[in-house]
Amino acid sequence: MSRFFATGSDSESEESSSADEITPKTSGPNFRQSLLLSDDEEDTKRVVRSAKDKRFEELTNLIKTIRNAMKIRDMAKCLEEFDQLCRAFLKSKTIVDKEGVPPFYIRLLADLEDYLNQLWEDKEGKKKMNKNNAKSLSSLRQKIRKYNRDYETEIAAYKENPQESADEEEEKEAEESGSSSGSSDDEEEGGEGMTAKNFLKKEAVPEANKFLKGAKGSGDEASSSDDEDDEDWGEDSEDSGSSSSEDGEGKSSSLACRFLKKTQEGEKGLDKKREQRKKKQKKERLEEEAEEEAGEEGEGGWEKVKGGVPLVKPKMFAKGTEINTTVVVKKLNEILQARGKKGTDRAAQIELLHLLAGISGEHNLGQGILVKIKFNIIASLYDYNPNLAAFMKADMWKKCLECIDELLDILFENSNIFIGENIAEDSENLAIIESQPFRVRGCILTLVERMDEEFTKIMQNTDPHSQEYVDNLKDEGHVCGIIDRLLSYLETKGSTEEVCRIYLRRIMHTYYKFDYKAHRRSLGLVAETKSEQDQEESEGEDSAVIMDRLCKFIYAKDRTDRIRTCAILCHIYHHALHSRWYQARDLMLMSHLQDNIQHADPPVQILYNRTMVQLGICAFRQGMIKDAHNALLDIQSSGRAKELLGQGLLMRNMQERNAEQEKIEKRRQVPFHMHINLELLECVYLVSAMLLEIPYMAAHEFDARRRMISKQFHHQLRVGERQPLLGPPESMREHVVAASKAMKMGDWRTCHSFIINEKMNSKVWDLFPETQCVREMLVRKIQEESLRTYLFTYSSVYDSISMGTLSEMFELELAMVHSIISKMIINEELMASLDQPTQTVVMHRTEPTSLQNMALQLAEKLGGLVENNERVFDLKQGVYGGYFNRDQKGSYQQKQGGYQRENRGGYQQRQGGYRGGDGQRGGGYQGGYRGGYQGGNRDGNQGGNRDGNQGGYQGGYRGGYQGGNRDGNRDGNQGGNRDGNQGGYQGGYKGGYQGGYQGGYQRGGGGGGGYGGYRNHQNRDQSNY
Amino acid sequence: SFAFTWVQFNGENCLNKDTKTNLQDGLKVVLKIIKHYQEEGQGSEVVQGVLLGLVVEDRLEITNCFPFPQHTEDDADFDEVQYQMEMMRSLRHVNIDHLHVGWYQSTFYGSFVSRALLDSQFSYQHAIEESVVLIYDPIKTAQGSLSLKAYRLTPELMEICKEKDFTPEALKKANIGFEHMFEEVPIVIKNSHLISVLMWELEDKSTVADKHELLNLSSSNHLEKSLQLLMDRVDDMSQDIVKYNTYSRNLSKQQQQKHQYVQRRQQENAQRQTRGEAALAEEDITKLFKPPQPPPRMDTLLIAGQINNYCQNVKEFTSQNLGKLFMAEALQGHNS
Repeated sequence: MSRFFATGSDSESEESSSADEITPKTSGPNFRQSLLLSDDEEDTKRVVRSAKDKRFEELTNLIKTIRNAMKIRDMAKCLEEFDQLCRAFLKSKTIVDKEGVPPFYIRLLADLEDYLNQLWEDKEGKKKMNKNNAKSLSSLRQKIRKYNRDYETEIAAYKENPQESADEEEEKEAEESGSSSGSSDDEEEGGEGMTAKNFLKKEAVPEANKFLKGAKGSGDEASSSDDEDDEDWGEDSEDSGSSSSEDGEGKSSSLACRFLKKTQEGEKGLDKKREQRKKKQKKERLEEEAEEEAGEEGEGGWEKVKGGVPLVKPKMFAKGTEINTTVVVKKLNEILQARGKKGTDRAAQIELLHLLAGISGEHNLGQGILVKIKFNIIASLYDYNPNLAAFMKADMWKKCLECIDELLDILFENSNIFIGENIAEDSENLAIIESQPFRVRGCILTLVERMDEEFTKIMQNTDPHSQEYVDNLKDEGHVCGIIDRLLSYLETKGSTEEVCRIYLRRIMHTYYKFDYKAHRRSLGLVAETKSEQDQEESEGEDSAVIMDRLCKFIYAKDRTDRIRTCAILCHIYHHALHSRWYQARDLMLMSHLQDNIQHADPPVQILYNRTMVQLGICAFRQGMIKDAHNALLDIQSSGRAKELLGQGLLMRNMQERNAEQEKIEKRRQVPFHMHINLELLECVYLVSAMLLEIPYMAAHEFDARRRMISKQFHHQLRVGERQPLLGPPESMREHVVAASKAMKMGDWRTCHSFIINEKMNSKVWDLFPETQCVREMLVRKIQEESLRTYLFTYSSVYDSISMGTLSEMFELELAMVHSIISKMIINEELMASLDQPTQTVVMHRTEPTSLQNMALQLAEKLGGLVENNERVFDLKQGVYGGYFNRDQKGSYQQKQGGYQRENRGGYQQRQGGYRGGDGQRGGGYQGGYRGGYQGGNRDGNQGGNRDGNQGGYQGGYRGGYQGGNRDGNRDGNQGGNRDGNQGGYQGGYKGGYQGGYQGGYQRGGGGGGGYGGYRNHQNRDQSNY
Repeated sequence: SFAFTWVQFNGENCLNKDTKTNLQDGLKVVLKIIKHYQEEGQGSEVVQGVLLGLVVEDRLEITNCFPFPQHTEDDADFDEVQYQMEMMRSLRHVNIDHLHVGWYQSTFYGSFVSRALLDSQFSYQHAIEESVVLIYDPIKTAQGSLSLKAYRLTPELMEICKEKDFTPEALKKANIGFEHMFEEVPIVIKNSHLISVLMWELEDKSTVADKHELLNLSSSNHLEKSLQLLMDRVDDMSQDIVKYNTYSRNLSKQQQQKHQYVQRRQQENAQRQTRGEAALAEEDITKLFKPPQPPPRMDTLLIAGQINNYCQNVKEFTSQNLGKLFMAEALQGHNS
């Protein structure tokens, strides 16, 4: 097309302008409207014509088009028209059977075949043809060959006597000239009035398929064509009843343009003829143009034949129609039928529905019908965006809110309206009948839920740092208002299920908001200004009370698992947000959500993750460092906190996530105003990890099997170590790393200054509502943990140390120091005893030195080595079973004499057993052998080496070692490895970590495991208190 | 006035202590090596250099050396061979022995048995038969006793290296263990009389404190380090064993499969014969069952050698220390 635009002829500029005016996808309606326009002619006399005439006329029209196309060598057009012709011919089969094959039909077939053959021969011409045409030509040729076989005799007869129908042809020619003169008339009138032209054109072109001939000049045919249409589209009866004079101005003009274009096509045809004589080159170009346009026309024609979607009339009812409920309902259904179909103008539909609502309002048809229409308006508003990912436009959104508001108004005012999904279409009661309530099908709850989702979508799609976001966010109040209204409506009228759903919506809009007023009230502050006081009074209950009421209702009444789960999570979140740690924790533990959350759908999992994070942060604020760390571990250790919390997508390559998935994930994102600050989260996590890990590291400095409590933290430490030049810390992480280093040395003052300073305050600590409490708690924790670290690190240097000195050093009360040291002694972390009278700690100095530690490690490693070696040997024995003759060996041993027997009796016995079993090489033998071996060796070797403190530990270790290592499973090894004190915790850690890595949002068993361990720990802690 | 001597004839080494040479100072070589490490070696970093000298009768006399310059990856175009040639040419100009007879390397707590050493010593020994590698232990030296050892690869190991076949079978066939990988060649340091005289004089003048450096009791650091290194090697060893274990397990499994397969084949063929059908064509069994890749055993061997080395070190060290401790105890008792 662009090629033609470039030429810049008049017709083309018109074309483009018309293209602008015509709304896309409206070709159908336009056609319909064009019919309406012709209703003026309704009054003119109608002539009844025979079926034969009608059919034949249709045929002749098609033939005419084909001949025209033949003249301009437009094969594509030819093919299309020929197909139509065949179909039309089939349709008129009955008539043809009666009357015989009409001669003009045969003539066309013969001519067409000749023509095609001729074209086919013309190789050069064929080359010049564009691809489309050439393709059409070959397919048409094949088709006509096949087709003509049925009519061979007739065609042969015709070829014998072509003159027979010459007179007919003459007739046609005359008609043709008439048509051309008619169209030229049109051109002349063109300047006078659009509508006139429209009218003429409308007849000329849309019906062109049927008759392009001049016949259209007469009113008869116009009406006949109308009749035809009436037949084809039975529903149009109403349309014809309405008058077209009401047609919208814009539409008529656009129509005009559209038809004008077509007129010009005809015009062009004439032009072409003239020019043909003058310039050959130009002719070719125009030919192409004509072809193109013919193609377009063909498309139009195609649509017509197919029939458009059921269409909408601009005018609802014919004049004088009595407007009553049934009519309106009928109309409504008619409009709705177009819903969802291709080519329906959705904006126009919404307009129509509004209009209908207006009409029904005018005529006082009652609230029932109004409600029904409103339902449909809102539904069509939602439908406006066909794409699920796209969000509503601002104006649509406003309209939607208004509509729902109005709907709610109506529902509140009229208590006699029943609505529900379960009311069947036919049992609706829309008309005003005294003593009978309205019954309307539809679910307001669904609409409101959808509205809420749309709101989320809008928020997701707005740039969170723009003013627009703020503006959009202001609508949240409105949304909440609607939800509240619906809530109070449903509380009186809805089923429990519905109430649960709307309660959840309400909860979803409440749980993440911090209730500052309640907070202030709880602090005992009185609002400073009067207006604030007023506001407080009007605020009503605390959000906590609301949450409690709503959630408890859901817990009691809900039968779908999902709503309850969400409600619980939101409730926990809300508790955690308001520092009600014990309630939050108990609810989390009671719900057992951590066990089965991996089966939930991703949005719920995201909510779960959010809740866990909030819980962890809450624990941190309360000074429960271990709990905080455990709760945050899952999320943080994966390194994908952002993704797990639904706060953004990580950059990943396309292999892992295709466009479709990305869209889905984008839809899951939490709107910005609900985000949890990731830096705060990380800082809380790292600081808790520091408080746990640094003393642990100091305590287990020489332990080869030392486990990391937090991989993430260690990673940060390593990153810090790798810095070639250590400047003053800049980022939050650097601060924590620097603080950790200070703490390692037991230097709590430096540590304190790194954790709590201006930068960190502004970045992190000030984000808490109770900043001061948190900071005080932190200082205290730093002092305590630094003291522990100090004792671990330097206890070997001291013989005894005064608690008073320690209390001075760490600025802790003496009692506190006493309690910390006592705890360490009880837990056997510190080998010391307290000397009461002098208030000193006396070190026992039983800790193994680093060299001793090393030797122990080496012994263990050698044990492993020996065992591995044994296995090689076992295998060898198995493979080369006959390699060693048993008797030979035995005799060899006997030769060794008494020395061996005395000294290594136990061993030899074992060897003996081993040999005995060797023949079969059964599993039992292996186990026995190894067990025995290990038992003997280890016990003798190491049991004595270690003091009683580590004895129990060893037992555990060996068990795990044997079990795990045999299976080649390291994890088992580690599990058994740990002493009871750490078992629960570490198990949780491991599980959580792995889970986090494996599942996407589904942290799977890991999550559960993580919290499982955490729970164990909790119990222990409590018992400690 | 000169140093090192030893002999080598077809792998049989004997030391001829009586041989005297009137060549330049032997102390020079030792001091040069020590200086080289002092200047460039840091911690576990290793310094290397070239030994120059000549074979005299049944001894190898080392009369001079020069270091390989330390070079970073930045100057990649540095050509070591070129440098050596240049250096030797210059030395010849000043009439110094310029025959290449080996190389030296410093070591960190006795860890030198490595693949790199094996490879380079092999190439040396391959090209210049009399080549030795001199291992200098700076840490031991710093403690008061010069530690300098000369090694050569045994002829068996040379054979294996030539074949480049480190499979378990090949090593078994060669019957080579970690004990037989290297042979130590005795070293004798000879100085000119003038230097000996100077040494005497210096010893006379030195204070008592300098002399008793040897009696230092703080030993745990050294021991710890040795243990640490030993542990690392043991870990490596364990890993290698596990690898070997998997290999032999796979091998035996496959052996079994192969066996089963052959048996089945035979049974089938027997059945076919009874039915009078033609026997199935013999297929290439080796193709069906590709034997698993055997793990190279040379590394294990080297690790074993290294472990042995560490053990010797520790043993030596502890026995010395125990002696010192007893001595110290006796002194304590005497004083009190």
